[in-house]
Amino acid sequence: MSRQPLSSAGILLTLPALVGLLVFVAVPFMLAIVLAFTNLRLGSPLPLEFVGLRQFLRLFADPAFTHALINNLLFAAVVVPLQTVLALALALLLNQPLRGRTVFRTVFFLPVVFPLSLVAVVWILIFAPGPDGLLNSALHWITFGHWQAHDFLHDPLLALPAIMLTSIWQGAGFQMVILLAALQGIPFELYEAARIDGAGSWQRFWHITLPQLRNTLIFVMLVTTILAFRLFEQVQIMTHGGPRHATTTVMYEAVQAAFSRQQVARGAAITVIFFIVVLLVTALQRQFARQRHD
Amino acid sequence: MQARMLATLLRYLGLVILAILFIAPIMFMLSGSFKPDAQVLTEAGSWQAFIPSQLNLENYHDVFARVDFLRYLLNSIFITGMVVLLGLVVNSLAGYGFARLPWRGRKLMFALVLAILILPLEAIAVPLFYEVTLFGWRNTYLVQILPFIANAFSIFLFYTFFLGMPHELEEAARIDGAGILRTFFSIIVPNSKPVFATVAILTFLTQWGVYIWPLMVTSGETVRPLPLAIATFYTLPPLQWGDIFAFGVMMVLPILLVFLFFQRWFIRGVVASGIKG
Amino acid sequence: MAVALTACERGEQAGSSSQQLSVTVWAHAGQASERRTLERQLQVFNQKHPHIQAKLTFIPERSYNAQVQAAAIAGDLPDLLEFDVPYLYNYAWQGRLQPLETLLPTSLQQDLLPSIIAQGTYQGHLYGVGTFDSGLGLYGRRSRLLQVHARIPATPDQAWTIQEFDQILQRLARHDKDGAVLDLKLNYPDEWFCYAFSPILQSAGGDLIDRRDYQHATGILNSPASVRAMTQLQHWLRDGLVDPNVDDAAFVKGRVALSWAGHWEYRRYHAAFGQDLVVLPLPNFGRGSRTGQGSWVWGITRHSTAARQAAQIIEYLMQPTQILAMTDANAAVPATRTAIQLSPLYKPGGPLHLFVQQLSEGVAVPRPRTPAYPVISASFRQAFADIRNGVPVQQALDHAAQVIDQDIRDNHGYPAITTH
Repeated sequence: MSRQPLSSAGILLTLPALVGLLVFVAVPFMLAIVLAFTNLRLGSPLPLEFVGLRQFLRLFADPAFTHALINNLLFAAVVVPLQTVLALALALLLNQPLRGRTVFRTVFFLPVVFPLSLVAVVWILIFAPGPDGLLNSALHWITFGHWQAHDFLHDPLLALPAIMLTSIWQGAGFQMVILLAALQGIPFELYEAARIDGAGSWQRFWHITLPQLRNTLIFVMLVTTILAFRLFEQVQIMTHGGPRHATTTVMYEAVQAAFSRQQVARGAAITVIFFIVVLLVTALQRQFARQRHD
Repeated sequence: MQARMLATLLRYLGLVILAILFIAPIMFMLSGSFKPDAQVLTEAGSWQAFIPSQLNLENYHDVFARVDFLRYLLNSIFITGMVVLLGLVVNSLAGYGFARLPWRGRKLMFALVLAILILPLEAIAVPLFYEVTLFGWRNTYLVQILPFIANAFSIFLFYTFFLGMPHELEEAARIDGAGILRTFFSIIVPNSKPVFATVAILTFLTQWGVYIWPLMVTSGETVRPLPLAIATFYTLPPLQWGDIFAFGVMMVLPILLVFLFFQRWFIRGVVASGIKG
Repeated sequence: MAVALTACERGEQAGSSSQQLSVTVWAHAGQASERRTLERQLQVFNQKHPHIQAKLTFIPERSYNAQVQAAAIAGDLPDLLEFDVPYLYNYAWQGRLQPLETLLPTSLQQDLLPSIIAQGTYQGHLYGVGTFDSGLGLYGRRSRLLQVHARIPATPDQAWTIQEFDQILQRLARHDKDGAVLDLKLNYPDEWFCYAFSPILQSAGGDLIDRRDYQHATGILNSPASVRAMTQLQHWLRDGLVDPNVDDAAFVKGRVALSWAGHWEYRRYHAAFGQDLVVLPLPNFGRGSRTGQGSWVWGITRHSTAARQAAQIIEYLMQPTQILAMTDANAAVPATRTAIQLSPLYKPGGPLHLFVQQLSEGVAVPRPRTPAYPVISASFRQAFADIRNGVPVQQALDHAAQVIDQDIRDNHGYPAITTH
């Protein structure tokens, strides 16, 4: 068997996907890189001009954009660990012989099937200000009347956490399913052996479950990180980036520039910065994960 | 024995509390879809928020009266279905090519695919729009399907799954003289149901909710999908929350059915594709 | 160019003499009653004009401009396009529209409300006409106002002064359960903020932009007068006088005594309070009461090959009976004087005649007639949100003015483009 047919087959099999990615992702992205150095505006009859680094310099001088970068990092730093821990807890609770396990699993997964645009609308109503708002009255009831009504989505300290809560609610079920599946893949003999050695349940979790889940956890956190940086729809619908840039994100700024203000070139520059930042963050994450392994 | 009973009890308690928290917003929507519009918000602060006091189907009637729901639904099913089916073929072949076949430049190409994984549609929507405008694909199904078939994330999932499959299966087939494509379709695919189910449901989920892209490349009811139909409900306030919720319930049902149908494979699928990280 | 035009006309005639000519029409998917009315109107039009086939498509109101821009770039605009009037200047500058003055009969143009002509005109050409205009004012409950001994102004020149208005709010708040007595429709989407609150800048002596040449906002939008007006507004918000109105029911549920809102709320408010409802001019911030104007208008796209037929449709929709059919559906101000005389709501002595007065006596101010409008609107909306959230007014308006000026500079001052 020569290597030659295998090699050309490899190229042939990947070709349709590679052509698709080239035409519909890579080429538009390269176009975005070029446009980032121009002044292109949607539908403008004026001739296109190259303006060098102007779009980038303006972005870094704009407090809204720096806020957007910080918010994305903050969002990822809070949501990724929190959501993963919650998902792991759910998975561990469900990874036992239990009556109604399928029902619980479906319930926790249910939010995942809701389109974000719909989820955001429902949560606006949940966060409604005033004592009659759903969350406000729920908290009032739980704290026996000690809760003061808050306007969550217009409070600079609460708006981003509110969006985080929405996102965790929507996304945790997906991670749970992945972790649950990984838990079920851990060989039972490992636990048996540990039990014979007299390990307690906490020790079994620490020395068997976690190491066995390691790769899955890395995978899950990597994907969640990428999704966290894409945060857009909740912001667009729930807060419009406010109050005082407290919830704006890089993708929100990009869409605002291109669609609301017709500044295509600025949107393109944001795309370029976005790509570089996420590439760096995920590369660091992988590097970190690899080091811990060695 | 008592300690164990207590542990089980606590576990149930935890699960039930969490389940209530997870299902409450959905119950709010579901019960709202059966209420007159004005009641949705007034009852938000009480238990009635979650329990429909009546089974009033008027909002559902309204949805059908306001938009050609069936048309939008069929459009969504067709577009999503095509993206899922074609995506499964194209991306699984690519994943296999990257995982199991040696070829020059494979590593570099795969790294590029992973980098592309970062870019969401919103980031490249405008340049992509200029591009397809040159092709003259406006107001077609094609323009809503073709750009989404090849998907870096799906390739990545297939790749990790195939990487972990035992080599013996393919070798046996190869000794029998089967070509690569035949090996793939008759040996690999039947043994990879989990990853196919996983990719199918993930693609379905993302594709079902797309908004910005069809907004830019289509107009009118002929080829537009469901997320654009719901946009017509966001007029000047007062918004008809009941209608919006009824629409939401009907929009989510198909995804739920797909999930329930695939769920068994889906759960095994993510094990195998995720575990290799 | 002249050759091309005649060729075009000949093509049209050839088409219309032999078979049906279809005219594509895009309209916004507004309230159900508006949609039904327009559908019915075009059906009747098609029956009456067997050679013309109007084909109607509804476009969701959300992201309407983005959809129009995308279609324009793709060369897929309809013949007859409905759009929100402040975008007219941008579309006209981009060369998307054709002038209407030669296409519509002079008698119709003379019958239009002055506000309709004013806002539809850019660089000396009429590019869009609406079948209705909008009215903006304060809705109030007579009983609650009399309870705090407030004067009830009947005409724009009797409007409350800002000091008076402030006192009324304070006194109303003392009689109110939660202290929130004013509804500013904070729950509304995008365009509302520029439409409803830029008039108070003008009433105070400021504005969004220098209207002499539309070249800069700095020194106008952040002038002491503008800052004064917006500071007033910030006080109301900060002191809890404004209801957040998430459910859009603050007024009808009786939570507030005053609602800053448009004509479209008249029916609902009247149904809730009947004779107790009063319609008042917006308060006078120093230079007289000012209010907003403008709504959805019809324009004919530049590359339409059925411009004549599209104009016939506009003409049909502008007949008094058709205008009244639409304004019956949405309670808006009829666009022609003839139709106003026939409207029970708007004729002299009608409950909403105030809005007609505002539109014909220069109390209503059109939004700035410049292609920079989308940026002006987005910046002012951002400033409003910041001011609501406690950012110092001067700082918020400075920033908005900078963004607008930068956009104008980036576009070389939006020079007139000759495409005729």
